[in-house]
Amino acid sequence: MRGRTLIVGPNFSGRSRALMNLLRATSDVPASFFVGPYAEAALSGLSSVVADEIRIYQSSDVSSSKADFSPLDFTSLSDRKPQTLSGGEQVLLALHCFSRSAYQSIAIDVALEQLDGANRALALDYLGGSSRQEFDVVLTDNRLDGPLPHWSCTEQTNESATFACDLPALANHLLPQHAGPLAIHDLHFGYRNGRTILRGADLTLEPGAAHRLLGPNGAGKTTLLKILVGVLTPSSGRISLDGVCYEPARTGNRAIALATQNPDHQWCGATLREDVTRRRSTLTRRIDMPPPADERIARLGRDLGFPSLDQPLYELPLAARKRLSWLWPFSGALPWIMLDEPTIGQDRDTRRELALVVRRLCALGYGIIFVTHDDDFAAQVPHRRIAIENMTISTS
Amino acid sequence: MRQRQLTPSGAVAFGLILIIAAMASAGVAGLALLAALCAAFAFLEVGAASAIALKRSLALVIPLALFMLIVWVGIVGRSPAEIAAGTSGSRAAALFHVALVCARLFLIASVLQLIMARFALTPPLGFIAALRVPLVCKRLLVFTLSLVETFQHAIDRAHTALVACGLLTSRGSLRNLLHAWVLVQTVWLTAITIVVGRLRDKWPIENTLAQLDRALARGAQRTLSRHDLIWLPLALAAAVFAIGAR
Amino acid sequence: MLTTPRLIAIALCAALNFSIGSVVYLTKLPIYLDSIGTILCALLLFPDRRGGFVCAWISGALSLVLSGLLINPFVPWFEMTDVAIALFSSLVIARGADTFRTHPLPTVPFAVRVVVYGVCTGIIAALVSAPVVVYLFGGVTGSGSAFLVALFLKTGQQLMSAAILSGLAADPIDKTLQVLFAALLYRATPTEFIKMLRTSYDLAATTTHT
Repeated sequence: MRGRTLIVGPNFSGRSRALMNLLRATSDVPASFFVGPYAEAALSGLSSVVADEIRIYQSSDVSSSKADFSPLDFTSLSDRKPQTLSGGEQVLLALHCFSRSAYQSIAIDVALEQLDGANRALALDYLGGSSRQEFDVVLTDNRLDGPLPHWSCTEQTNESATFACDLPALANHLLPQHAGPLAIHDLHFGYRNGRTILRGADLTLEPGAAHRLLGPNGAGKTTLLKILVGVLTPSSGRISLDGVCYEPARTGNRAIALATQNPDHQWCGATLREDVTRRRSTLTRRIDMPPPADERIARLGRDLGFPSLDQPLYELPLAARKRLSWLWPFSGALPWIMLDEPTIGQDRDTRRELALVVRRLCALGYGIIFVTHDDDFAAQVPHRRIAIENMTISTS
Repeated sequence: MRQRQLTPSGAVAFGLILIIAAMASAGVAGLALLAALCAAFAFLEVGAASAIALKRSLALVIPLALFMLIVWVGIVGRSPAEIAAGTSGSRAAALFHVALVCARLFLIASVLQLIMARFALTPPLGFIAALRVPLVCKRLLVFTLSLVETFQHAIDRAHTALVACGLLTSRGSLRNLLHAWVLVQTVWLTAITIVVGRLRDKWPIENTLAQLDRALARGAQRTLSRHDLIWLPLALAAAVFAIGAR
Repeated sequence: MLTTPRLIAIALCAALNFSIGSVVYLTKLPIYLDSIGTILCALLLFPDRRGGFVCAWISGALSLVLSGLLINPFVPWFEMTDVAIALFSSLVIARGADTFRTHPLPTVPFAVRVVVYGVCTGIIAALVSAPVVVYLFGGVTGSGSAFLVALFLKTGQQLMSAAILSGLAADPIDKTLQVLFAALLYRATPTEFIKMLRTSYDLAATTTHT
């Protein structure tokens, strides 16, 4: 492997395999640093604190040192558990560890898509933009469709028929909804380690529209989503749904279908059937709308590329699991839908069609909240901007 | 030049000697001597953080003590020695037996908590790297610690998933009890997914475990410090007395 | 025998033993649920019986040490019970592995195996544990089964018979529950992970698909 290589192509065309083959180009090729999608493929998994993660990779050989990559103050984060960092912060930590290591090559599989615009630009610049770096890079990234200056480009064209999804057909199978306004009033939240995320936040979200949560990595976007579904309890303030006080931490989530950034953070069963059956069991007790039947779930599953409800969830490829994570939110079971970085790992065509589905959901009366650093995707969905920064929320 | 401060190896050896002596000691005098040495260690090496360490030890032992009081003194009413001898026995003897067992357990818990408090500011990898044990043992310790963290992370992720889909509430509820099995299954599957991701992609490509071995080898401390050479002989002497005294 | 994936399986099964066992210990019910991981480890390594026994035994021993240090100082002394459960799991319970993973669930064969395996494991555990309970702890440990022993002592039973009777009363139920949970977790475990536990597995052969 030499120089800088960008591998492009649609989902399931063999990009990851091509990346691995490049890493194994010769029998005595030295090991490469690897940053894969999501934490288990970005961090070593051998450290309890950030300081130890850096220590594992720290090179003692001064002559092999590369330029330092430190977009965050890792010294202040040294006591944090790596798993508690946001997805973007974990990718930045991984790149920092690479810059401190003796590795002479790095492979990145869609991980840069988790970074906000500024950090993404910094990372691409470090990896091979204007600076002369003495290491090799292999990269797959769905938001880079063509060659970059000084990079070679390999295109994978053999798209597999497995998991072929038909989002336009799914858009025609969506059902209408009557969501009520979702509002937060004077919300305060801080983690036990003393880090305050929100202070006196006010926000009203109207249904029939899409709302984009914006903010740098680690600002608290995912934290706000967790508060709204009841995973985290605010220290003060209140949430209302359709004008009525709504306490998901006490009564359970009965309004919002969440598709998480990492799809494996949302399953509640070993198979699709088991997952949906359990979710359905929480619905019948709470709202009058009939819950989605197996036939409807099966049809949506086929539209997403999964012919069987008995599909074991954890045995699917990651990009496929990401698509399956949209099924429950699109089923019409709940009036509000949250999509946390829905386009990570998805090729350009899928992202375009997903935008079509989101527009259709808004037209049908759902309330949509989405978090994304993918400006191209966001530009295809008319939305209201909600910025989280410095513990406050502002709208535009 | 030999360093002054207590090393991780010295602390672990000190702790092991005290724990073994506490388990093997049968007499009150022996336990009292071990407790005095433990108190001296707390005062001189740990300082103000000893209070938190001792509070945690009490929190571990008090529930067990209450349980044993109910069973031995309240229900059985005799000590094991009296049961074995076939005598009618007394609640006072049972109480003495419970007190001795709990004192021993409190001592063991305190030693562990005090050592953890002493090295609270040392990153775990640094602590393990400094130990004077073979590299394979250090690797196993890192594995165990990291997988405990993985499991804790899996519990957190699974809990988040089940709360988000409405099966659990983040506050206590009957619903949580009814869906406890779903949480166990989800934790297991989450943990498996995490380790499969590492084993399939990250570790083989990077040869991460070799990287770990280098980091562990770099941090090794090969000599005992002055404080080690004070505490270890004291611990050995106390252990000999405690095990020998009846 | 002890490949990296197997070491990880051992540690995860030990963590399962420790976490569930600790929660149950605190409730003071006369059950344990502290060997689910041991049984699961043997199932995961089927048909490698020797490897299954070694890994199951190590996972049980690891959880006993952790529990002894952090939660229940009595348990490390029950190592022989751990050996007996690991042996029975790898030689007998693991034979049910194919039934446990069959889809759709064959209810009657599944249930029969769970009950028979559970009762047998319970009887073995009760008989192996009784001498430890009597000679090391005078009949009473820190777990909920101590209430049963105390009650049998009150009825005039000798120490050994009280310990054996309390074990035979509680252990078959406890072990049947454990075999059930282990079988259900084994059933749900992704095939990819089970394949990684074969000693012939090449860690570099597969990859994430994006």
